Amino acid sequence: MSHDHPLIRLEGLTKKFGPLYANRDITLDIRAGRIKSLLGENGAGKSTLMGMLAGRLRPDGGRILIEGRPRHFSSARDAISEGIGMVYQHFMLVDAMTVAENIFLGHPGGILLQQDAMERQVEALARQVRLEIDPRARIADLSMGEKQRVEILKLLFRRNRVLIFDEPTAVLTPQESKQLFEALREMARQDKAIVFISHKLDEVLDLSDEIAVLRKGEVVADMTADRVQTKEALARLMVGREVILQVDREPVETRQTVLRVRGLNDAPLKDVNLTVRQGEILGLVGVAGNGQKPLVETICGLRAPGTGHVRLMGQNWSRFFRKRRWDGNLSYVPEDRQGLATCRNLSLTENFLLTTRQGFSRGPWLQRPAAEKRLRELIQTFDIHPPDPLSQARQLSGGNLQKMVLAREFFRRPRLIVAEQPTQGLDIAATEDVWGVLLKARSRAGILLVTGDLAEALSLSDRLAVMFDGRIVDTFDADDRAKIDAIGLMMAGVTETARSAIPDA
Amino acid sequence: MLNLTAYKRQEPHPWSSCLVFLAAVLLSLAVSAILLKLQGKPALQGIELLFRGALGSRWSIEDCLIKAIPIFLCSLGVAIAFRLQIWNIGAEGQFALGAIGATWAALTFPDQPAYLLLPLMAVMAFVAGGLWGLVPALLKLRMRANEIIVTLMLNYIAILLLDYLVYGRWKDPGSFGFPMTKTFSATAIVPKITGTEINWGLGLCLICGMVMWVFFRFTRKGFELKVAGENLNATRYAGLPYEKLVCFVMITSGALAGWAGFIEASATINRLQPSIMVGYGYTAIVVAWLARLNPLTIGIASFLLAALRVGIENLQLELQVPAAFGGIMEGMILLTVLAGSYFNEFGFRLRRRS
Repeated sequence: MSHDHPLIRLEGLTKKFGPLYANRDITLDIRAGRIKSLLGENGAGKSTLMGMLAGRLRPDGGRILIEGRPRHFSSARDAISEGIGMVYQHFMLVDAMTVAENIFLGHPGGILLQQDAMERQVEALARQVRLEIDPRARIADLSMGEKQRVEILKLLFRRNRVLIFDEPTAVLTPQESKQLFEALREMARQDKAIVFISHKLDEVLDLSDEIAVLRKGEVVADMTADRVQTKEALARLMVGREVILQVDREPVETRQTVLRVRGLNDAPLKDVNLTVRQGEILGLVGVAGNGQKPLVETICGLRAPGTGHVRLMGQNWSRFFRKRRWDGNLSYVPEDRQGLATCRNLSLTENFLLTTRQGFSRGPWLQRPAAEKRLRELIQTFDIHPPDPLSQARQLSGGNLQKMVLAREFFRRPRLIVAEQPTQGLDIAATEDVWGVLLKARSRAGILLVTGDLAEALSLSDRLAVMFDGRIVDTFDADDRAKIDAIGLMMAGVTETARSAIPDA
Repeated sequence: MLNLTAYKRQEPHPWSSCLVFLAAVLLSLAVSAILLKLQGKPALQGIELLFRGALGSRWSIEDCLIKAIPIFLCSLGVAIAFRLQIWNIGAEGQFALGAIGATWAALTFPDQPAYLLLPLMAVMAFVAGGLWGLVPALLKLRMRANEIIVTLMLNYIAILLLDYLVYGRWKDPGSFGFPMTKTFSATAIVPKITGTEINWGLGLCLICGMVMWVFFRFTRKGFELKVAGENLNATRYAGLPYEKLVCFVMITSGALAGWAGFIEASATINRLQPSIMVGYGYTAIVVAWLARLNPLTIGIASFLLAALRVGIENLQLELQVPAAFGGIMEGMILLTVLAGSYFNEFGFRLRRRS
């Protein structure tokens, strides 16, 4: 093995989805015996990049070199045979089988299983990398952390040289995370190459030998860990400081309070307070996974609140959702357009009826022709392609599907809109369309804009709330320069610094 | 070396589902012929007897239709539950309860005129079958019990209940000890369509099939069921009452199977006896899958599997083939059609591998 070449080199790797670059001209080296972190926001392109390395996605440009030789992966199998393995966030284990059986599953070898030998081998392997586990335990009885160990052992057992971890600590307790990090270091000592994908700054700083930062599909920094000056600098690299796009944001008078959250405690949420009035956009910013999801699910009725008060349109939560009206009420534009907001195998008309069906009913009958007629008009207004109410949701691109969801939700004339990452994965033109629609909706609705894109939050919001670790760290007006400058820090959980930047906090 | 690789089709081939179905049926017939041969019976003649027995005369076609009636009703019920991805394997038990409910009315009010008694029997069958279907729905929702297992076990309980009644309290004193009720009074028997042997259950089938078609196409509830069967997350997102929908489909499903039991007891056997349970409830599951839960195709598939039953009876008489042979063929057709659906979604290409 020659040491002039890194184990893996990604050279000018590019991947497009439609007109959008998910990855653009990415060059990275992955070396044996080192832990490389890939840091980036949700949607920065981390998963796409690793998908190409794991053989699941085919690059549109650039190449992958392994020990200096270019390789083409046409399937995940090719990547596995090169010794590249990935631990996904969703484990791929058979619940009813034991640890040892899972590790041997799909392993070429004799037809007969030798239970004892299998278990002994697994035990030895586990000890070698300090991932203690009982090879006889059934997967169904294991904690998330233990399941993850089984996934890791699976890869080690297949003699993988490169192990990729996709947000591995998302499912772990702090104690389990610590054990995982020790194991990762041990594996690096044994000359494995480790790729660690995360958006958590502390972990990355704690663990890595090298850090690459991805933003909007491009590598904005690639350095050894000792060259990182401060955590804040890293946060800034990740979040970016783009020029705020100029949007016409005429002030609208705020009126009635449409959402009031008081002292909501419901792990991981801690004492959350929020108010949204008609006529304003409240931008809720923060690194993903700091409690935004449970908060939004609670507000939108998908999750019952713990202790504390949630009032919508002046009614308490349970009353509101027991007798919800379809119009003049709450509209939720979720991040998950395909799985939650639409049904992929149903037609656009049927997807339109998903939340507006009560408006198109007479007695037991559903007035599909009327719905289809309205939808045709909306398709025109929102410029949705293909402009055919009979096409299925899965035939639409992400941007068009999002416009479809927006068209439907605005048709309900909501007074409260919860928009979650509304422009994620959309191109510039579509983004501007969506922004325009949201700003216009302000005239009659209050909007809670949940976004990981700081530029978007700053361009649209009248007020901003920053979320970290299940709390709303701070809420302030969008023209408060001092606090806006501190957003990056608040998002990274550097509260002390943030506080000191604020007089009388 | 040449290597065959499968790839996923973007659009299913327009004719493929028809072709696959035909190929699957032919394949099962071929395997059946081989099985006949292995038993030392003439294979080709056996297949011919099968067809002639089922479709060879007016009498046999009428028999096919009569048997298709309970299969169709059960299958319609099963299909409505399957649409919501609720796996109701309990049509057999719900059928038994329907027969019991109808029989209770027939034995309790034998002297009422037909225009009162028959509707009452129908209502009782509907209620008994529907409640029997509601039990697994409630257990699923309240205690997270798997409906496949619960419905399956309830089948055995229902059959034992039926046995208990016909061996015990409902046994006809004049039956020389045979486990059966008294023959129903003439007003408790669903009449035949004039000039045929077929009973008016066929009309009930037509109405139920049409109602189901209209229901899924034109009503709000039908639409909500379709969504809830498609995507559970979107169901919660849209605020659909999932629990109510589960109860609704299980009651409807059980009630339709109950009606099948009512027709069978009233029109075909004219009494209640253990031999009423011939597995229509299980055949219905096969039919619902073959027909992809579509009411019209359920009609066709019900007729075909009823024809298979009639044809096998003929084979039994002429060639002394065991009765289980019918079950084997039924299972084989289902397996080959299900396996064949792979070819609807995937195509093949040859690839040279070095």
